[in-house]
Amino acid sequence: MELIVLAIKDIFRRKGKSLYLLIAIVIPVAILSTILLTFDNADSSLSTLASKFGFTLIVQPKNVRVDKISQIGVNTQEYIPEVVIADIQKIVQDTIRNPKDKVITVVRFYHEEDILIGKAKISSVVAGIDFKTELEAKPSWKLTGGGWPKSDREAVLGGTYASSRKVSLHDTVTIGGSEFRVTGILQNYNSSEDYMVFAPFTEVQKLFNKAGFVSVINIQNVSLDKDKGLLQTAVNNINKNIPNIMALSPQQFSTMKYTLLKKSLKFLMAIVVATIAVSIFSIFNIVTSVLYSRVKEIGLLKSVGASRSQLLTIFLSEYLTIGLLGGMIGYPLGLIMTYLLDSFLLKLGAGVNVNILYVLVALLVGVFCSFIASFYPTYRLSKIKITESFRTQWEG
Amino acid sequence: MDKSNGTPFLELRDVNKTFNLSSGEVTALEHVSLTISKGELVALVGPSGSGKTTLLNIIGSLDRPSRGEVLLEGVRIDGLSEEDLVHFRREKFSFIFQDAKPLRMLNVLENTLLPFNFFKPKNRNGNIKDEGIEVIKSLGLGHRIYHMPSQLSGGEIQRVAIARALITHPAMILADEPTANLDRGNRLFVIDTFRKLSKEKGIAIVFSTHDLEIANRADRIVHLKDGVFLKDEPITCTPCSG
Repeated sequence: MELIVLAIKDIFRRKGKSLYLLIAIVIPVAILSTILLTFDNADSSLSTLASKFGFTLIVQPKNVRVDKISQIGVNTQEYIPEVVIADIQKIVQDTIRNPKDKVITVVRFYHEEDILIGKAKISSVVAGIDFKTELEAKPSWKLTGGGWPKSDREAVLGGTYASSRKVSLHDTVTIGGSEFRVTGILQNYNSSEDYMVFAPFTEVQKLFNKAGFVSVINIQNVSLDKDKGLLQTAVNNINKNIPNIMALSPQQFSTMKYTLLKKSLKFLMAIVVATIAVSIFSIFNIVTSVLYSRVKEIGLLKSVGASRSQLLTIFLSEYLTIGLLGGMIGYPLGLIMTYLLDSFLLKLGAGVNVNILYVLVALLVGVFCSFIASFYPTYRLSKIKITESFRTQWEG
Repeated sequence: MDKSNGTPFLELRDVNKTFNLSSGEVTALEHVSLTISKGELVALVGPSGSGKTTLLNIIGSLDRPSRGEVLLEGVRIDGLSEEDLVHFRREKFSFIFQDAKPLRMLNVLENTLLPFNFFKPKNRNGNIKDEGIEVIKSLGLGHRIYHMPSQLSGGEIQRVAIARALITHPAMILADEPTANLDRGNRLFVIDTFRKLSKEKGIAIVFSTHDLEIANRADRIVHLKDGVFLKDEPITCTPCSG
């Protein structure tokens, strides 16, 4: 029989104490896994949101704060002069240094206005867009019916907007006193665009006396998409050289949005450290108590020829096996907790994914806690003399 | 004396042992000299605190004398390092302790073969498991081979300890109160097994006891009191019945 087998047999003999040890390890591992996975999910959620948005770089008026990426430029009276568009494009081109790499610039003008639908006045967000450029940048944009506007007095409605206001194709809506015929209704994309009215860019500018101004400038470029460093350089150069605007990447924007969550995660990580410390202390106490109750057994093992290193192997194998088991149970428990946390509280919506790296972290933390807590008592008791082990009354 | 070359198997020369306790220094053994030959069965007799266990520990190299020499087959062993003593004990000694119960998670056979978890058996021709079963059967535990310790009586537990001691083919067995807490039948079984082993296998066996009936079945009785030899008497009417 191998020493490891002796160790495992002993784990099963001391089911109660082994269970206590297991719980002491599972708790911090599960909490740590939950936090790591939640953090991971937040990150992947940010990436999903960013990639869903479809642009590489966003430029908005300075000092404007919004909660959602698709609301940048909306609900604000701040605008960007159109003259800076050329400067921004030049900075982007200079950064990527590849004339063949296409830079698509999509500008939007937003205005919140009461729109007349029939006789009803409905507060709406009107987005002035250039349909051709918009579709070039976002080929995934689809209509549920009708077609894209071909004249200045035609409009497209967001899916939810049309259904909730009971507006159909070919109906007329009055924006800023001018009538627009609805030629298409957008699919829903679960974004604020579902609630908007889209009309030709220059018409909307004129209607609201803001010719020469835009609410937001979106840039799409493959090189910047691929190279985060290059993207950051472009963002920095724009912010540095053009006043009163703020350039940022969707990733950055999303990151800003989740700053609070990240701060919470730091706090939670502090809790994990505290939990691990408590766990190590508990394991230390349990192991010490168990080992003192096994002093005669240690004497017996030594008397039949066990060396100190063999005793250390047996006892540490026991506790490291429990640590490993704790990691193996703690991680799936963390997965479940992450799922519940996401479903009922955070609602990041990125789903719960198994991360091999975190599986390894969970196993390592389990083994680490177990090793740190059990090494000293094991080492100390392995030094006991055979004569002392039988002479003294040791009871754990 | 070892009949082969005239050297005693084990020799203690003027051994002293003192313990430094919080209450002061306590002398456990004083000027003890003793020789033990192969195949000899020696009983250590004396009241509690007379130094029987200390003497057994020093003979078995579990403890070191404060002064004096311990020689095994003519070689001093009291100065060996702990690591060397581990290897030395594996080859030469087996121990039977009054308090050392079998490991609860192992069955009788596994407990018997326990030493071989820590070192490989030397000079064995047959299967070690078969030999373990033979030893267990020879001690009347054939029906208990795969039983767990919780299923055994006190006498059977002591037989498991003897089986575990025998499996390593030791030159010497040291037993501390091996018959304590046993009924008379089991006490006699243990001592008769010791006699048989010492005579048939040439194993030197030293055991401590309070029981004169048991002691009288040994080849010699060494009387101790307060760490000092009172007398070392050979038994001529072996086995003397109580």
